[in-house]
Amino acid sequence: MDMTMAVQCEGVAKQHPHFLLQDVNLSFEQGTVMGLVGPNGAGKSTILRIIMGLQKPDSGSVKVLGHSMPNDQVAAKRKIGFIAEDMRLYESETIEFHMGFIKSIFDTWDQEYATKLLGRFDLNKDQKVKGLSHGQRVKATLMLALARRPQLLVFDEPTTGLDPAVRKEVLDEMMNSLQDETRSILFSSHNTLDIEQISDYITFIYDGRIIESRDKETFLDSWRRLRLTNIDNKPIPDLPNIRQIQQSGRLCAVTVNDYDDTTIDQFTNAGLKVDAIEHLTLEEIFLNNVLHAKALKNNGTTP
Amino acid sequence: MTHTIIPHLVKKDLLIWRKMISIFCLMSLLAIAGLSLIYGHIPNFVFMNVGFTILIVPTAACGIALLIQTNVFEKEKSTQVFIMSLPITVKEFTLAKLLVNLPVFGALWIVTAGVAFYFTFGLGLLPLGAVPFITMIFLGIFAAYSCILSISLVSQSLSTTIWGIMFFEAGTSAYLWIVAFLDPIKNTIYGPNTVWNSTAITIVAIQVLVIVFVLVGTIFIQNKKRDFI
Repeated sequence: MDMTMAVQCEGVAKQHPHFLLQDVNLSFEQGTVMGLVGPNGAGKSTILRIIMGLQKPDSGSVKVLGHSMPNDQVAAKRKIGFIAEDMRLYESETIEFHMGFIKSIFDTWDQEYATKLLGRFDLNKDQKVKGLSHGQRVKATLMLALARRPQLLVFDEPTTGLDPAVRKEVLDEMMNSLQDETRSILFSSHNTLDIEQISDYITFIYDGRIIESRDKETFLDSWRRLRLTNIDNKPIPDLPNIRQIQQSGRLCAVTVNDYDDTTIDQFTNAGLKVDAIEHLTLEEIFLNNVLHAKALKNNGTTP
Repeated sequence: MTHTIIPHLVKKDLLIWRKMISIFCLMSLLAIAGLSLIYGHIPNFVFMNVGFTILIVPTAACGIALLIQTNVFEKEKSTQVFIMSLPITVKEFTLAKLLVNLPVFGALWIVTAGVAFYFTFGLGLLPLGAVPFITMIFLGIFAAYSCILSISLVSQSLSTTIWGIMFFEAGTSAYLWIVAFLDPIKNTIYGPNTVWNSTAITIVAIQVLVIVFVLVGTIFIQNKKRDFI
């Protein structure tokens, strides 16, 4: 049992009536942030629910903070704070009621921190949940998860539907919570800006499969867009790491994955002039990955 | 740490639904008071029929309303995701729900049954020969409630639960009619003494077994579920 790992998923598969999650291998160490990116319906929530022990995989193994899931979920969930986009609090009750409820369950509840968070989030503990806006509700749920001082925070689309100001507040508090270096975060989003902002590791998921999983720096560094001039209209080399080609007359933009110093040589040797080499944003990488996976799927090839 | 959070979940549900439970308890008390006031002023036959309905309505309504709120709406309103994120298994979740619903309904049911027995036999509305049959009526109500409670927990669906309520309400009435016309029951029902013959004992034992089987079966089925959210 490797106690330094926050999450270890190996060969996880799960069949739903119209969806198949397959061969999910996902691991990250304690003290790090893993961002799970994928389009709607890719399988992000299913993975998180399997990790939380709320769904049982058909095959494969899941360990969270050293605990086997779902068999050892009670011990594991004592150390996890979970927030899901579809999670609701009791409408007829106040925030204080929920604080009291969570406090009664978790010995680790930090009342001082909870009070601080109420202030930072501009929440009134006497307010009933039914009177809260969506943003306030997310902040209240985040406060309830953070104040129990969990070792692992699992967030399923925490920033969906939030206005930019509230989104920043939520992300800032997520980052603040990382001051404890043993705390880890696993969070899913289709908002690449959020993922790029706080993640150490990024995993792309599409159509129930993990298509890429690396640390953020390697991720961003491995993708490039080459601006080329094709003066003699020569054929573009057929490299396996080319993800997208956009041509406009003699000008050409080629997006490549697994970029290294030899990549440029392959184009120059083919008679093309490299005008510029650009980094891609995570959003652009995400779109390229999805389009590539979609194309492979349509061709009947496994991504 | 291995201590269970079941007591906290039970307390949470009781606190959330305390007003609703109190209203139904008050309705039950008003029903008993009302019956005490009208006793002797209307014919006994009318009193018995009206009295039974007035007594059972708050109890049944409380049981049904509570199981819908705590079991069905927990899922439909997505508060179940919040609860299941806490250190709890599906089995413990189910136990907590049973421990909220059964004592509340059970307490009202015992009071209702006690008052019904007092009016029926204490005041001599029916002879003592009817004791086994009235016992079967109240056990039948509890068995039907247990089945509906089980359906609400296993399905967590409002429409399925409502179909269950309709089915078991009609089914219990039909079943009691059939029992009332069984010779060993029919022949003793108007007798001056209580007769617990083998038929009466068997029927009561089956009712108790159904209640136990349904409740244990509910925990078993829930524990086997692969996906709970």
